[in-house]
Amino acid sequence: MAHATPPMLHITNLGKRYRKLQVLTDVSFDVAPGSVIALLGANGAGKTTTLKCILGVMPFDGTVEVDGISVSQHGKDARRRIGYVPQSAVLNDADTCYEALEFLAELKGAPRGRVDEMLALVNLGEQRDVAVGHLSGGMRQRLALAGALLADPPLLLLDEPTASLDVESRMEFHRLVLRLRDEGKTIILSTHFFDHLEELASRVLILDSGRLAFDGSLDELSQRVRGRRYVVNLNGNAPSRFMEALSAAGIGPERVQPAEMRWEELLLAAAPERQATAEEQA
Amino acid sequence: MSVVLAVARKEIRDALNSSWLLLYAGLFTMLALGLSYLGERNLGSLGFENFSRTTASLLNLCLLLAPLVALSLGAGSIAGERDRGGLTYLLSQPLDRWELLLGKFVGLCTSIGLATTVGFGVAGVVIAILASAMDLGTYLVFVTLVLALIVVMTGIGLVVSVISQTRVQALGIAVLVWFIAVFVFDLLLIGTVSSTSLGGGGLMLALLLNPVEIVRVLAVIQLEPDLQILGPFGSYLLEQVGTGGATAILVAALAAWAALPVSLAAWLFESREA
Repeated sequence: MAHATPPMLHITNLGKRYRKLQVLTDVSFDVAPGSVIALLGANGAGKTTTLKCILGVMPFDGTVEVDGISVSQHGKDARRRIGYVPQSAVLNDADTCYEALEFLAELKGAPRGRVDEMLALVNLGEQRDVAVGHLSGGMRQRLALAGALLADPPLLLLDEPTASLDVESRMEFHRLVLRLRDEGKTIILSTHFFDHLEELASRVLILDSGRLAFDGSLDELSQRVRGRRYVVNLNGNAPSRFMEALSAAGIGPERVQPAEMRWEELLLAAAPERQATAEEQA
Repeated sequence: MSVVLAVARKEIRDALNSSWLLLYAGLFTMLALGLSYLGERNLGSLGFENFSRTTASLLNLCLLLAPLVALSLGAGSIAGERDRGGLTYLLSQPLDRWELLLGKFVGLCTSIGLATTVGFGVAGVVIAILASAMDLGTYLVFVTLVLALIVVMTGIGLVVSVISQTRVQALGIAVLVWFIAVFVFDLLLIGTVSSTSLGGGGLMLALLLNPVEIVRVLAVIQLEPDLQILGPFGSYLLEQVGTGGATAILVAALAAWAALPVSLAAWLFESREA
């Protein structure tokens, strides 16, 4: 008899309240080993709070298990299985890259030999003895990724790691994520960016006001969006003519958006009740 | 335990990389030498004093400076990490919160203690070479008491750090605690004693409530048990239980002060948001 593979991450009825503010409500999902999940949501939707609960750095309601280990009961053991890359680099500016990772290796119980290995993996071998404060934003994030990988954890939590990076640095970071995915890591990538999302993530979770609004593949999400998208065939006419026609009809150019998935569209597709409310208000 | 040591080593390395340690050690050395020199000049002759007189002169200075440094650095520790976003990152590592706190406590105590010892050490060597008489034992007891006070005040600073939202708030509270412990406490107690029927037991308990006062009385008892210098609470204690009894009680109280604040900080830290 075949047994289902136990999830790398199991979350049931996750809830979090900051004083009077309910930040997360009944969030439940499983993540299979080796999969890459994109965690999407507007600012304040609860993405970072979800990651913090998985890390067990704050009290929460509900159940979070990493590789079968309860985070609330055995947080330290659970964190041994997690590598975490925060949104902004927090490693000490005065430390060299080697010193910063050496400290993390000590905390994680990883052998020191892994430090140089990980520096090479993220292409920072030449910056080994350079102070963290002298690194670019992209280099710092790659250093943080190297730190997360020191103890070879099966689960990686990446909290908007490319939010403050330029396109080139973002691409380089994405290439590293792809490589790690191919090596079998389970990755949860919280992000605002949709470029290369299809390539990176096999599944999308959308948080809306602390609730899980969508859980499915990017294709499923795209299907929902397409249902409300009008595609105009210009039939060889110049776009300027089309714009003029729209203008004559009283529709300004601000109503015409590029044919790419916008955040608002994704969110509306994921949370139909939000659209209904918006329409009622209109 | 290796995690505690790793955090402590990191704390010491960070302290060595910052300029405050050098400044603090330099300030202590200069003041130790300066006070000794000036004290001797006031007595009519020019030159360096012996150890006992120097330690007596340094007592009040140390009771002002050491608690301020220890409280400030303790208070800035966790709150500073929280401020710069590093606390969540540290707590995301496979460690328990008490391990992080204990590591920071050990690292801070070692750093401040090292700076203090270097400062006093340099001054001690210079005075030993130049002074005519020497009482090294008393000097070492005095340095030990100052180190104990640093441990206590760092622990109190950590409590402040854990309950504060920001580094600035923590430093504000730390300075307030320092001001109360060093300046206000005595006046407050004298006022309380004169306006209430606080008995002898109450007086003794009152003395034990302030670690700065405990160290001051202990140091005076070791140096020269003068009732005028001891103050009302120290004098009462000495009269009731004698030098040996007073020393034992004060050392026990100091040991409790060394353990309780850091334990309280660890307990509070467990339930705080990162």
